[in-house]
Amino acid sequence: MEKLDILIAGVGGQGVITLGKIIATSALLSGVKALVAETHGLAQRGGAVNVHVRLGNVYSPLIKKADFLVALEATEALRNLSYTDKETILIVNERVERSVLPRVKMLSLDEIKERLKEYRAIYIPAERVAIDSGNPRGANIVMLSLLMEFGLKKLIDEDKLLSLLDEKNKRVYLAGKESITFLRIR
Amino acid sequence: MKKSLLLGNEAIAFGALKAGVGIATGYPGTPSTEIIETLQRFRDRYVEWSVNEKVAFETAYGASITGAYSLVAMKHVGLNVASDPLMSSSYTGVEGAFVIVSAQDPSMWSSQNEQDNRYYGLMSLIPVIEPYDPQSAYELTVKAFYLSSKVHHPVILSTNTRISHVRGPVEYEEPIPPIFGKLQKKPDKYSLVPDVARRDRQEQLKRWELIQQEIKEFNEIEGDGRKLIIASGVAYSYVKEILPESVRILRLSAPVPLNREQIIKALEDTDEALIVEELEPIVEMQIKSIAYDEGFRIRIHGKDYVPRSGELTPDIVEFAIKKFLGIYYEPKTKVEEYVPPRPPAMCPGCPHRSSFIDIKRGITLGGLSQTFFSGDIGCYSLGILPPFQEQDSLTNMGSSLGIANGIFRATGTIPVAIIGDSTFFHSGLSALANAVYNNLPVLVVVLDNRVTAMTGQNPSPSREIDIANVAKGLGVEYVKEIDPFNLKESTKIIADATNWVKQNKKPALIIAKRACALEVIDKFDKLPIAEVDISKCTGCTICYDYFTCPAIIPREDKKAFIDPVLCIGCGACIPICPYSAISLKGKIPEGWDEVWRS
Ligand code: SF4
Ligand code: SF4
Repeated sequence: MEKLDILIAGVGGQGVITLGKIIATSALLSGVKALVAETHGLAQRGGAVNVHVRLGNVYSPLIKKADFLVALEATEALRNLSYTDKETILIVNERVERSVLPRVKMLSLDEIKERLKEYRAIYIPAERVAIDSGNPRGANIVMLSLLMEFGLKKLIDEDKLLSLLDEKNKRVYLAGKESITFLRIR
Repeated sequence: MKKSLLLGNEAIAFGALKAGVGIATGYPGTPSTEIIETLQRFRDRYVEWSVNEKVAFETAYGASITGAYSLVAMKHVGLNVASDPLMSSSYTGVEGAFVIVSAQDPSMWSSQNEQDNRYYGLMSLIPVIEPYDPQSAYELTVKAFYLSSKVHHPVILSTNTRISHVRGPVEYEEPIPPIFGKLQKKPDKYSLVPDVARRDRQEQLKRWELIQQEIKEFNEIEGDGRKLIIASGVAYSYVKEILPESVRILRLSAPVPLNREQIIKALEDTDEALIVEELEPIVEMQIKSIAYDEGFRIRIHGKDYVPRSGELTPDIVEFAIKKFLGIYYEPKTKVEEYVPPRPPAMCPGCPHRSSFIDIKRGITLGGLSQTFFSGDIGCYSLGILPPFQEQDSLTNMGSSLGIANGIFRATGTIPVAIIGDSTFFHSGLSALANAVYNNLPVLVVVLDNRVTAMTGQNPSPSREIDIANVAKGLGVEYVKEIDPFNLKESTKIIADATNWVKQNKKPALIIAKRACALEVIDKFDKLPIAEVDISKCTGCTICYDYFTCPAIIPREDKKAFIDPVLCIGCGACIPICPYSAISLKGKIPEGWDEVWRS
């Protein structure tokens, strides 16, 4: 069976864990083994978090090399580069969130893109797409629809996945799909 | 048989239900919390959050000496708090079944140390069972109950972050009815006066031998080859993923104790062995001792190839295996240094942020030019970060008051002890009694947000017991409540209390009382939000650099902007702005104030 490793990175509170859970549940419904490793506790709010999603014939809870790196915040893509190589597809939300430590200098989106220019990265203004389709907190679902389009569909049945989403999130999902026509892999 | 996607902790709970658990207790602690949370959904059993791990342990143990099937769950450091009854429980054994779940946190994702509790198994002579994924967590929990009831002895189930907090498909069966006990008295076994204890000690050693036989069935040999990998617990998952052919694996789901014949059998026909285990060389020590006694002359690798600190990763295990097999392997590189740090932060609207500001201003006003902030374990541990830096030490649950005592006795500096409500009841009470009893001049601030927030808002005893009354009852003469959001009044009261401590050389206690912001936002659909009047804002940076609510963001021109998605409208930032540039807009929902103050 095919294996797929997805690393989801972001900031606590962005729905990182929920996203992992949706992918794993729809995998299970599609008859594919899934393991999702999350870290709860102190790292929950405002801190950098990542969730390891592994699909297929897998044992280890943690990823060695990701097929996909989904970054709900652009800086977090950089933080997790050690899980990637030149084959990895990066799906990056064009959002830079401030670290709450006072006076920490963040990298701008352009600087981040510059650092990632050797990688296969796709950028999407996920908040924009989510807000436009009526659910400001649905950026993680936008990322999910991109992930499906760029390769997750081979393991996960889209109808099974949609059955897990409520109406509001379904709209966001479809909006995410439509936005793809504007994107290209660098 | 059902199959669902379960968190490892849920799988443990379902295992306990399948085995007939009747009594379950615990104290919340990452990564163990969801075990009790899951069991709480089953109303036909008794499940409680106890005030601390010792009480939780004694409750479950007490139930098991009447024949009940019981479970106690806690994080690894919690077992230190319960270690007194732990040692005794091994002397007496039990009548029903007693499973102690100890959740380890290698790499210290949310803990102050990464002690390996399998040592407790060796020290107390209690077997340790170690699952390797959510499915095995379910199965081994059931087996742990059976083992305990069969040998009449407690059993430790050792889990960790990468088992407890991993979701995976789990096949599980329906719960069976709870097994409770019936009143029976055996003082000649359970009252550990010297005569009884000496007899129990002999019985304990006999049971330990029996356990060494029974433990065999938890372990298995797979594959063949003249090289042997011995993998304990979660290490098995990593080894299995990387495993090349021609290597044999001994999977140990019970690292303590080992069965001598099983180990001898595994070491025969082996040229070289590698032990892969997380943290301490518990298995390694035992195996080397058996190998020495039995005259094996083979190389046994362990901590020379696998690090002793931090959790295992695929990379670390692959490196060890390849080295063992003589294959070159380059481990992964680390995070690049240019990535800005992003530690966790207190939430928007968190009352602790305001409390830390109040405390700093208040004690300065009260004439304490320097102090030692003696901290404690909870969300407010984040007060260690800039700009607050109000946690000069925090070492264990309840440490704030005890350490403050030591600081004062050694230096004469009046300390400030900061402790949460749940922690106060967990292990602050006796230290407060000590402060009164020995006249410790200390300003105690109890941050009372009514929940154990760090582990997911578990209820705290402060909902039922009034902290002010407790403090007065223990003899604290100066006790006052403050509202942390009321900057002016709080600062004044803290200044007063500081003065009082200086003059009277006795403890004073302040309760900073406001609900956890997450509790509040859960209860309302529509929240007010704060807004900055740009014409009034001078860009002084106070609200984002010194108050640091994550919702307040600096604009290019240094003026403040409030992110409407993050802001919860708590209003705490309003008194912080010296130019009155911040105000609330939107309707204040009905019952808003009551919930914040409940
Ligand atoms: S504290 Fe007031 S004046 Fe200073 S930056 Fe914030 S809003 Fe502007
Ligand atoms: S009202 Fe002020 S302190 Fe409260 S969440 Fe909004 S910005 Fe933060």
